[in-house]
Amino acid sequence: MARRYDSRTTIFSPEGRLYQIEYAMEAISHAGTVLGVLAKDGIVLAAEKKVTGKLLDLSGAKEGGYGGSGEKIFLLNSNVVAGVAGITADANSLVNYAREAAQRHLYMYNEDIPVEMLAQRLCDLKQGYTQYGGLRPFGVSLLYAGYDPHYNFQLYHSDPSGNYSGWKATCIGANSGTAQSLLKQEYKEEISIEDAISLVLRVMSKTMDSTTLGSEKLEFATLTLDAEQRPKAKIYRPAEIDALLRKHDLAKKDEDAEMKS
Amino acid sequence: METAFGITGKGYVLIASDTTAVHSIVKVKTDVDKIKELSPFLLMATSGEPGDTVQFAEYIERNIRLYHIRNNFPLRPPSAASWIRRSLADSLRSRKPYSVNLLLGGYDVSTYKPHLYWMDYLGTLAEVPFAAHGYGSYFTLSLLDKYHDPEATVEEGLATLKRCIDEVSKRLVVSPDRFKVKIVDKDGVREIEV
Amino acid sequence: MSGSYDRALTVFSPDGHLFQVEYASEAVRRGTCAVGLRGKDVVVLGVEKKSILQLQDPRTVRKVAMLDDHICIAFAGLTADGRVLIDKARIECQSHRLTVEDPVTVEYITRHIATIQQKYTQSGGVRPFGIATLIVGFDPHDTKPKLYQTEPGGIYSEWKANAIGRSSKTVREFLEKNHKDDLSRDDAIKLTVKSLLEVVQTGAKNIEISVMESYGKITSLDLPQIEAIVQEIEREKEAEAERKRTRLAAAAAGQAAMSQRADTPAQ
Repeated sequence: MARRYDSRTTIFSPEGRLYQIEYAMEAISHAGTVLGVLAKDGIVLAAEKKVTGKLLDLSGAKEGGYGGSGEKIFLLNSNVVAGVAGITADANSLVNYAREAAQRHLYMYNEDIPVEMLAQRLCDLKQGYTQYGGLRPFGVSLLYAGYDPHYNFQLYHSDPSGNYSGWKATCIGANSGTAQSLLKQEYKEEISIEDAISLVLRVMSKTMDSTTLGSEKLEFATLTLDAEQRPKAKIYRPAEIDALLRKHDLAKKDEDAEMKS
Repeated sequence: METAFGITGKGYVLIASDTTAVHSIVKVKTDVDKIKELSPFLLMATSGEPGDTVQFAEYIERNIRLYHIRNNFPLRPPSAASWIRRSLADSLRSRKPYSVNLLLGGYDVSTYKPHLYWMDYLGTLAEVPFAAHGYGSYFTLSLLDKYHDPEATVEEGLATLKRCIDEVSKRLVVSPDRFKVKIVDKDGVREIEV
Repeated sequence: MSGSYDRALTVFSPDGHLFQVEYASEAVRRGTCAVGLRGKDVVVLGVEKKSILQLQDPRTVRKVAMLDDHICIAFAGLTADGRVLIDKARIECQSHRLTVEDPVTVEYITRHIATIQQKYTQSGGVRPFGIATLIVGFDPHDTKPKLYQTEPGGIYSEWKANAIGRSSKTVREFLEKNHKDDLSRDDAIKLTVKSLLEVVQTGAKNIEISVMESYGKITSLDLPQIEAIVQEIEREKEAEAERKRTRLAAAAAGQAAMSQRADTPAQ
C-alpha cells in the first residue's frame, strides 16, 4: 500500500507526508560526513571523501585548480564555500546553479551575493523539485560557509525539502548524530579560528568510518578575512591537509591512540 | 529650469532639488517633490523628461522596497547604485528608453560611510564628493570646487548648498524659486528647511 | 480500493473527493500551531515555535513574516512551501503599489495567495502547497484590524479568531468559548497566549507573539514579556483552582452537615 505514495515527489501520502523527500534525506544519512564550525574570525569546513581506491588518480588535484580534489567542498563564490553530502551528480548540478546565481547577483548589484540569499536561491530550486511534476528531489544537503557585511560570518544548512537554517556548528551525512553531540559538548561561543580547526579535526577523527585520517579521505577548507577585510576562502591541498593533521597529531599512526582517548 | 545638487560631508549626504513642474514655457506647479526616499538610508533626486522621471522613480522605489522586505536588510548604497545604473542601461537599449538623470545619496550602515552617485540617462555612473544636474550645474560646480569640504558639518554643508542655490537664483534666466533639501545620515533620511 | 483517484491531482474520486488536497491539509495538521486573534483595535498573531537547538542561529528560525508595511503572515505546514508562497505574495504587494499607487488591502493579498494555492490543486503535474496561512493587518486609511485564513485547497475566509496547524481544533474550541468582541490590547495578547498554552506544554520559550496596533505598527514581544504573561495566566489558573477547591470543600461540608442532620432524627 505504501508504495502508492512513495514513488513520486508530487504526491502527498494520506498522512500528509512527502515520502520522496524523506527517502532523499535517508540517502544523505549514508553519505560522507560534512562538518562546519563558525568561529568569531572565520569558518571551518571539513568533509569525508568516500570515493577512494588504490588506483584513483589524485595527481591532478595536487596541482590544479583552487586546491583539493573538489569532490565534497566547492567554492561557490569568492565569499562562500560549500560542503555537499548526498548524490554527487546532483551536487554538481546544484553547485553549478549556485555559481551562476552568485555571478548574476554580482552582475546586477556589483557586490558579492549575501550568503543567506545564495542559500535561499538554492532552496527555492530544491523546493520546486518537490512540487512540480515528474521530478525527483535533489538528493543533496549542503553546508554553506560564507561572509557578507550584513551578518559577517555565517554557516547555513539546507536539505532536499528546500528548508534551510543557520548554525554555529553543525554536521550532515553519516554519523552526523554523533558529531552533533560532540559539537554540542565542545563548542564554545566566540571560539577562534585556530580552536575551530582543531575542534573540527578532533570531531572528524572520531566520527569517520575509516580508522586512518589522511588527505585521501579528507577535504578541508577555511574562510577568513584578508588584510583588506575581504573574504578569503582557502580549500586545502592534499599536502596541506596532511601537514595540518601532523600538526594536530592526528596523522595516520596516531589514529588508534586518539580513538582510545 | 531643472536643477539638482548633492554634496557629501562628515557622515551625511545632502540632496537639493528644485520643485517646479514645467510644461512648455509654463510653470504648472511649484511644490513638486523630486527627491524620493527609496529606503531608510537612500535618497534619489530625478530630473529629465517629466513622465519618465516619475515612472522610473516609482519602479526603482518598489523594487528596492521588495529587496528590503524579502531579505530583511536593505540594499547598500553601492549595490543600489549599480542596480539602478543597470536598469537605466537596459532601458537605453530598449525600444523606448527612459530619459532620466539622477543623483543618489545614501548612508551605508555597515561601513558608516556616506555615498553620493551621479548618473545620467546614458547609464553613466560615478561616485562623487559633490554633484549637480541641469542648467544649475553650469554655475555651481565651480562653487563646489572652491567650497566643498568632505569633513564639513551639516551646518557648513547647508551653507555651501545655500551659496549654490543663491547663485542659481541670481544667474539662471528662468530660475526656480523654491528648493527642497533632504539629508541622509546615520539617523536615516529626512527633510531639512533652508 | 480507491484506485488511482488520489494520485493525479486534477482528478475527482467517484465520491467527489480531491484526495491530494485533503492530504495536503494533513501536512498542515502536522505543522506547528499558529493563532490569530482580533481585538478592538489590535490584531495578534501567536505561533508555536520549535525549540531552537543549542547550536542553531535563532535569527534564521522565523515563523512570522512581513508581506508589506501593514500586513503580516504566519503559516503552518511545510516550511519550504511557505517560504516560496510568501515570496510570491511579497512581489504582489509591491507590484500592486506600483500599478495602482496604493498598498494592498488585507483581503486583496489573501485572495491573491488563495488563488495561487487553488491553481496548484488544478494544474497538471504539481502538488498543492502543504500550508495554511493566517494573514493579519490593517487596510490603508482604516482602523479596523483584519484577520484572514487560507487553506491548501484555495479557500479563504475572514475570522475574529482562529488557529491552524497542530491541535488547531482544540485551540479553536478554546477560542470559541473565550473570545469576546472588542478586547483591549493586553487582553487580546493574553487570550492568544492562553489559547496557545492549550497545546504548547513547554511555555513561553516556545511561543512567539506579534502584535499589530495600527497601519504599519508591528511589535513582537520578547521572551521576558511573554514569560510575564504566562506567569500571570498561571496565577489566575491557580486562583481559579483554589476558588474551586474552597467551593467544593464548602459544598462537601454543607453536604456532610445535611446528612448529619438527616442522620440525627433516626438515632
